[in-house]
Order: sequence, then structure tokens, then C-alpha cells
Amino acid sequence: MGKPVVWYVEEGGVAMPLMGKKEFKYLNKPLHRVDAYDKVTGRARYAADLEFAGMLYGGTLYSPYASARVTHIDVAKAKEIEGVKLVMTFQDLPKMASWGSYRFLTDVIRFQADAVAMVAATTHEAVEAALEAIEVEYEELPAVFTIEEAMAEGAPTVREEWPGNIHGPASFKVRKGDVETVFPSCDLVVEREYRTHYVEHAYMETEAAVAVPDYGTTEMTVYTGCANPFFTRHWVADALGVARSKVRIVQTITGGSFGGKEELLGQVASRAAIMAQKTHCPVKLVTTREESIIGSTKRHPMRLRYKVGVNKDGKMQALQCEIVENLGAYSMHQFMNFRASVHAAGVYNIPNVYVDVLGVFTNNVTSGAMRGYSSPQIIFAQEQLMEEVAEELGIDPVEFKKLNMLRQGDMTPTRQSLDAEVILEEVVDTLLVESDFFKKREEYKNQTGVKKKGIGLSIFYRGCGLGAESADASGCIVSTHDDGTVMINSGLIEHGQGLKTCFTQIVAETLSIPPEKINFIGVDTNTISDGGITAASRSTAIGSISMKKAAEELKSHLINTVSKLMFHCPPEMIDLVDGFFIMKGVPDAMIPFDVVCTAHYWTGHQSTVYCWNRPDDLGYSLEEGGGGKAFPSYTYSAVVAEVEVDTETGAVDVLRVYAGHDVGTVINPATAKGQIYGGVAMGQGFALMEELGIKNGIIKNKNLDSYIIPTSLDVPEVYPYLFECDDPAGTYGAKSLGEPATEGVGSAIINAIHNATGDRVRELPANLERVLLHKHLVPGGGK
Amino acid sequence: MLQFEYVKFNTLEETCQFLAQHVESAKILAGGTDLLVQIREKNRKVQELQYVVDINGLSGLKGIKEESGIVTIGALTTHAEVVGSPIIAQAAPLLAKACSLVGGPQTRNLGTIGGNICNASLSADSVTALVTLDAVLTIVGTNGNRQLPIAEVFVKSEKNTLQPGEILTAVSFAALKPGTPNAFTKLGRRKALAIARMNVGVILELEENKVTSAKIGVGASFPTTRRVNSAEAVLIGQEPTAVVIAAAASEVSRAMIEITGVRWSTEYKEPVLQVLVRRTIEQALGVE
Repeated sequence: MGKPVVWYVEEGGVAMPLMGKKEFKYLNKPLHRVDAYDKVTGRARYAADLEFAGMLYGGTLYSPYASARVTHIDVAKAKEIEGVKLVMTFQDLPKMASWGSYRFLTDVIRFQADAVAMVAATTHEAVEAALEAIEVEYEELPAVFTIEEAMAEGAPTVREEWPGNIHGPASFKVRKGDVETVFPSCDLVVEREYRTHYVEHAYMETEAAVAVPDYGTTEMTVYTGCANPFFTRHWVADALGVARSKVRIVQTITGGSFGGKEELLGQVASRAAIMAQKTHCPVKLVTTREESIIGSTKRHPMRLRYKVGVNKDGKMQALQCEIVENLGAYSMHQFMNFRASVHAAGVYNIPNVYVDVLGVFTNNVTSGAMRGYSSPQIIFAQEQLMEEVAEELGIDPVEFKKLNMLRQGDMTPTRQSLDAEVILEEVVDTLLVESDFFKKREEYKNQTGVKKKGIGLSIFYRGCGLGAESADASGCIVSTHDDGTVMINSGLIEHGQGLKTCFTQIVAETLSIPPEKINFIGVDTNTISDGGITAASRSTAIGSISMKKAAEELKSHLINTVSKLMFHCPPEMIDLVDGFFIMKGVPDAMIPFDVVCTAHYWTGHQSTVYCWNRPDDLGYSLEEGGGGKAFPSYTYSAVVAEVEVDTETGAVDVLRVYAGHDVGTVINPATAKGQIYGGVAMGQGFALMEELGIKNGIIKNKNLDSYIIPTSLDVPEVYPYLFECDDPAGTYGAKSLGEPATEGVGSAIINAIHNATGDRVRELPANLERVLLHKHLVPGGGK
Repeated sequence: MLQFEYVKFNTLEETCQFLAQHVESAKILAGGTDLLVQIREKNRKVQELQYVVDINGLSGLKGIKEESGIVTIGALTTHAEVVGSPIIAQAAPLLAKACSLVGGPQTRNLGTIGGNICNASLSADSVTALVTLDAVLTIVGTNGNRQLPIAEVFVKSEKNTLQPGEILTAVSFAALKPGTPNAFTKLGRRKALAIARMNVGVILELEENKVTSAKIGVGASFPTTRRVNSAEAVLIGQEPTAVVIAAAASEVSRAMIEITGVRWSTEYKEPVLQVLVRRTIEQALGVE
């Protein structure tokens, strides 16, 4: 059951399990990001910055339709353009399907960014001219765009393998108890439907890759900033028709991913590699912002239907839920629905739960991983639903949530017993106090002015890491050099989230040496093992376990050297403290770390440790009536948002956001807060303004002038609260934060709008028209 | 990718000559904040582009001056320069406000008043303020100069009446007397880098608490940015009470629908335009 919560009393007397009561030397400290200076001074080189001798530029030709077949294609004119070295169409790549069944080039267009041709040339101008010179004729094909269209009787099939358009592997169920029998006996049953929309990652760096043919032990090296270099290797090897061992991916400095640099990135890297293989020249392929927006994956739009049974005492008895998502034309993310099914009932203790999650193919842009991986949508629906149920029941929504929330020892909907600490109530109570929630909520109920303030709460939890979705395994390497510096590496990547800094601190803590001595080199697939995808907020919490283990093992090797060559005492008497090896209990027996490293190296001792960590199987069963332990641990979170709604224009100003997250152990409070600040902005965009304008599968807002994300003037004051607890699952007790930081923000904002106006926004985004008129207005008058 | 030549002349005359000879194929580069986007998008306006004519460096097109109560702004004056101008702060606060709400700092540092007018976007913030100010354009062409009230330069969205070989060189308006009630408001989908959903400029003159002159300029609502005389008439001769202001505001929406008909956005714009007009009038009058 773990130790009791460490209470930390702040000035003013509120007792909280806030960060600050754990004893660390290098963790819990706001170390400057190790990559900050290179990034802010412009020294950092991204893939698009790289140049190689003889390098060609690549370009891709897309279809103007979302569903079509190429009836005629002629590249003769394109080939004649000066500087053009290669023009390829689907005819040159027969049946070459990628991972996830994308086609690198195709004659059957299933969505707007299916490519029909590609070009390599000596200049950008020649590339563009050649793309324009390719003559293509299309025959438009029947298509489906909405969930309802896809599921309709006799609907056109998007993917031949999946008649009926339902993606089999994306169907997940959770069953607990028996909702059928319980609903009729409930005092109140509430049913609601909610809908969410397409959201773009909008990372600063678009997809970019430079493929360099090698002709040696490796066939192709691709320099690229991706979500997972090992998946990219898989893509590229498939594209080239060579063994994965012959492809090398070098992770370049990456300007954001948020889950998105996988599918389009894989295609971009593969297309560059195919063209490099054909031309025997390095090829650089960089997407324009427009190509990035039409081709990259989006957050899944969802239709969420809920039915909740509750008794007069306020205890929830049963929850039934059907979530259907619009997958677009392809899907590599069926496992997202595992997470969705586990979290669909929220962070509540409900005895009877029945959840179905499924995805349908359409001819829209493909949905994929995006920060939260189903949770922003689910929490938006679920946390409004809880308040709607409470209101119908005549109970205070906050009281209702607290009455039903999961506590230590409770069973989750998948029948996982929460054995580790659950400090959700402390997190919620702290935010309620800090935001002065109840007082403000009461004040805001009786406003008479045009601009009305509102305050809203959302509470949620997130399974840490991949959990039972797939093996949360990864490997790390820790190496000392004879000068006493340490080089570390991991199969997981830095894409802006601060991983290098956190891992550096973890090694500094483990070895007890200053972080300045440590250099995290980054992924080259030829030099570090496949550690899986950098996603699921898994890296700091779970992915660094092998880093800590490797550092511990290296430390023991060094201690052995000190024991044998220097102190001549048993290793158990030696420790490494603050950069010195010491003999315990002997005050003057100190040898600097670098002196030991030198001796260690020149006497031929092992200076490099590689370590693999594979967490124990959780034993989750996907069978009907299965379930069990879905995740090793959960991050417990709450968000309070305060808004001001202009009731005459529908404009919503987010004034303040209080965000509290139990992250187990705070590795770096500065980067943790950074995650929260960015997560709040992203959650605000999701709730209020971001929306892909897509009509008949064609995206209208293809750049950031018309795809609106919050600016620095829009983001609210953010008050982050970092909580710690004792949880054995992650490294030094760390839990996930990257995704929790954004996933509950939208629902808190929407609940705040309700507090201000009394209106519910059940379909996102809550833009001017929806807030004022409760409806969506689009040119042409409809979807 | 559009291929074009970059050309630059020493004099206005040479520039006009060149423009007259290359009517559709030459486009003027002032701040470039619209032109470069159009070139990137291969917008229909630049379909026949062969020459980008840089007018930066031509003398006399930049700067703000006031002479005998007339404020003149050179066409190449940037939004940022308007925002920072002590003359504009005195003579036309609503214009300074409008320019401060254009795009972001980069747009305001590069984008020019002349460009904002000639691009003829319905959402152009400075244009609504200038229309409200009854600004007059100075246009130079191969046949000499002419003056044109700003409202007459617009045909429809993104279409102006400049003739081949003509360049807008300056925009002028009568300085507001100190204390003249005036205001500009804008509604966007976010607080910065926003394209106006609607914007409104108001200038009032009052004597003995009665409105003697009213100017209400409205952008992004009518086929062109324009003053709404019928709404102004509601105010004139009246005390600007809440009822009168509401009536004027309501008239703006009525006039909009009369001209545009009911469009997809009308359900939203009809009530909200009234709100913006009412608020802008109230703001001009210093009413909370």
C-alpha cells in the first residue's frame, strides 16, 4: 500500500503532498535544458538544414481529390525539365505498400494526401516545375467522410480489406459487472452524446528527411527528426526492399512531434530513400506547411455516446459508453482504443461498466497519435457528463465527483486494484482551495453583465506508459571516458519534451556526479537498440528505468576498481558521493570521479554498460469478460479553468488555469511546468478555436494563418501544482506528465463556460458561433 | 513555383510607366505581407505575374505629416509607424488602434498602409478606420495625379479601382479635433494574428449633448468596407441615449442584410455586428 503521503505545509497553512519532501541531489531541481543554448542560438541543425555533396531535392505530387482513381498519367514533359533527375509514378513502384498500408505512390486515391508521383532534381525550382508538368487525369470515386456515412448500409468501402468500413483491430471492449440488469433499478438514467473534431499538431518543424545512399555495410542512411527512428527504419527498409539491418536512421534535432511525426514522416523518409536509391544521390525531402497539414495525422474526431445510471445518494451504479472515431483512410493506431476503452468511464469507481470503442475508415485525412491519445476527447465528454448527471440529480457536481472518484484500494473499470497511492483527492482539494473555487462559482452564478465569468473543474487520470497496450521495454547505454565524462544514450528520442535533460538528471542522481559531466548523444539506429516509440508519456517514467539500471551497474564497476586498485577495502564500504568515491566512515578517503575513470579505463575495465528493461507483464486480458491490470501506475490530475464569456459575441477568454498533477516524483520542475504551460495552451486550442476545415475530404485551412492556434496573447495565467507520492512503478517514482498536461484542460474550460452561461457545448470547438448560437456555421451551410 | 523578375526604378514616373505597360503581369511590392503570401499560394491575382516591382526606396512615399489640419500618410508608411506616431495619436486615435490590431509585430513592421488599402481585403483593419475618417487617396498615374475618396477605391473583396499604371502614394484625412469621440473595435477568433470577423470605426461630433455628426465605418460585413449612412442618420440630431445607440446599431445590421441578403454567416453576424457597433459608439463616448 506504500508509505503515507508526505504532507508539505506551505505558508498559509494548506497541507499538500506537493513537491519538495523527497531527498534528491539532482532530481527535483530546475536544471537548464541541456539542448536549450543550441536551440535558442540557432546552432541546432534540423534535418532541413543538412547539406550533402551532390544532394538533390525531392517533391511529391498529390491528388486534388479525396477519393479517385488515376486514369492517365504522363511524365514526359516533367522529365525534360533541366535539372530533373528522376520522375516516378505509382507505375514505377508496383504494389509497394508501406507499413500501415499507405502507398508510397498510388493510383488509387483514398484521401487527399495519397501521392501519385515524385520528383528529384538539382533545384527546388526544377522540382516544382516538374511537379506542375506531370499530367494526370482522375476518375472520382464514391466516398464517405463522416462516421454516419461510413457506417451506413451499403456505404462505399474505403479499404477493401475492411468491408463495412469498421477497422476490426481497433475494436476494444471493457466489461465490468452487468449494466443491463442495473440500469432499470437506478433512480436516474442520463444519456448524452458528445462530439469532437480534427485537431492538427502544428509542430514548428514540418516533416523533413535527407536520405544518403551508403553502398557499404549499410544501404541507406536517413537523417530525420521523427517520433520513432526504429519505426522509420521499418518504413524505409520496406520501401527500399532491403533488410532493416541495412538501413540506418539518424535522429536529427526535432522540432516537435506531439505524437505526429510517424506516418507522414515515415512516408517522407521512405520517398527520399527510394529516390536516393534510384539516383545514387543524397535526396532531401521537406514538406511545406500545407503538405504537412494535409498529409500528417490528426487527433481522432470522436462520437461519444454515454448512458449513466445513478442512485439518489449520488453513487454511480452503471456506465455504458460507445465511442466511435473517424480514422480517415488509414490507421496505425488501433491500440489507441485500448487506452480509450480503459479510460472511457473516467477516474470513477463504478461497479458496472460496459464500454465499446471502435473506429471507422473514411476518405478523410488519417487520424493518429496526438498528445493525449484519446484522452482529451474522452475527458471532454466524460467530465461534462459527470456534471450533467449531478445537475439532474440535484447534487453539487464537485461533491458528486468526489463521492464517486477512485481511491486507493478501489477497482478501476478494468478491475485493476489501485494498490499504490491515489492522491487525487488531495490534488482536487488543493486546486479547489488555491483557485477559491466554490466562492467564485457561487459569485459567477448570479452575474447580470454581458461578460460573464465562469469556473470549471475536471478530474482525470492517465495510465502511465504503454501499459498492456504493448511491451514497455527499452534499452539505454551509459559510458565513462578516461577524462571522467559520461556519455549516455537511449533508444528514446528528444523531440522537444525535455527527455535529454531528464535522463541526464537521472544519471547524475544515480552516479552522484554533476550533470555537466554527462552528454546525451541521441539516437542513431546503428548504435542503440530499438527502444520503441517515444510516446505514451512513457520515457521519463518507464523508459529511463534501463538508464538508471545501466548507471547503477556502471557505478558498481567503478566501485570495484576503487576497491581493488585504490582503497583496498570491500566494495560495500565504498560509495560515490558528489563526484567523489569515498570510503564510508573515513572522512579523508576521497578520490575524484575522473581520477577513477582514468584508472578504470587504462586498466581495461568495463567502461560501458548497456541495459535493457522489460517491465513485468501486466496480465491484462482482451477477451470478453477479461480486463485486469491495464497500466503499471496512473497519474492523477485535476484542472480548474476560469473563463470570461462575452455573451453577446460568443468570445471566450480563458483567464486562469490551475493545473495539478501527481507525477510521483518531479524529475525537473522547470521542464515539468513547461509541459503544463504548453499543455494548457494546446488544451485551450482544442476546446475553443482549433478546427480543421475539411469538406468532402479536402482540407481548406492548410496553413497557420487559417488554422488558428492560441497566441501568447490568448493563453491564460497558468498556475501549475506538482504533486509527488510514493509509487514503485517508474524511475525514482516518476509518473507521466506530457499528456496529462493537456488532456483535461479542454473539459475544464467547457465546464467553466457552463458555469458562466448555463449552456453546455457538447460538440467542439466552442468557437464564437457555437457559444453564441449553440450551432456550427460553415460556408455552404452544413457539413 | 511562380517565376518572376524583380524590378526597381528610381522614380515614380518610371514605375508608373512600367506598370502601365505590364498591366496584369506586374505587381507592386510594398511591405509584401500580402503579395508574398499570394505568390506562395499561387493566388489567382498573381496568375500572370512576371514582374515584382519594388517601390520601396521611391522618395516621398513614407512618413506622416499634418498641415493645416490635414493629416497625410505616405503609402509606404508601416502599421507600426502609424501606431507609434504622435500625430496619429492626436489626430486619429481610432486609426492607431486599428493599426495596432493588424496581424502580429512582423506584419505591422513590414505591412504598409498603402498596401492594406490596395489589397482591398474586406477585413483590413486600417481601411475601416480610414473609411470612417473619410480619407482621400492620392493616386499617381501616367496621366498625372488624382484624388479619390477611399470608399470609392473598392469594388468588391480584393478588387480596387486603380487604373493601369496607377500607384497609391498617400492617404489624407482631416485631423479630428481634440476630444472628438472616436473608437475602433475588432472581433477576431483570437487576440493576435487575427483576421477580423468584423470591425467597426466610429467618429462622433456632439453639441449640447446632441449628435451633430456621426460616422460609422464597418468592415468584413458589406460587399466593401463602407460607412453606413442610414445608421448615422439615426444618431444625428439625437441625444446618444442607450435607446438611440441601439437603434443605430440595429440599423447597421438591417442595412447589411438588405445589401448582402441572408448568407451562411448572417445568423451570427446580424446580432453581433449590432453589438460591435453599439460598443464602438459607447467606447467613443466613454460610456461603460
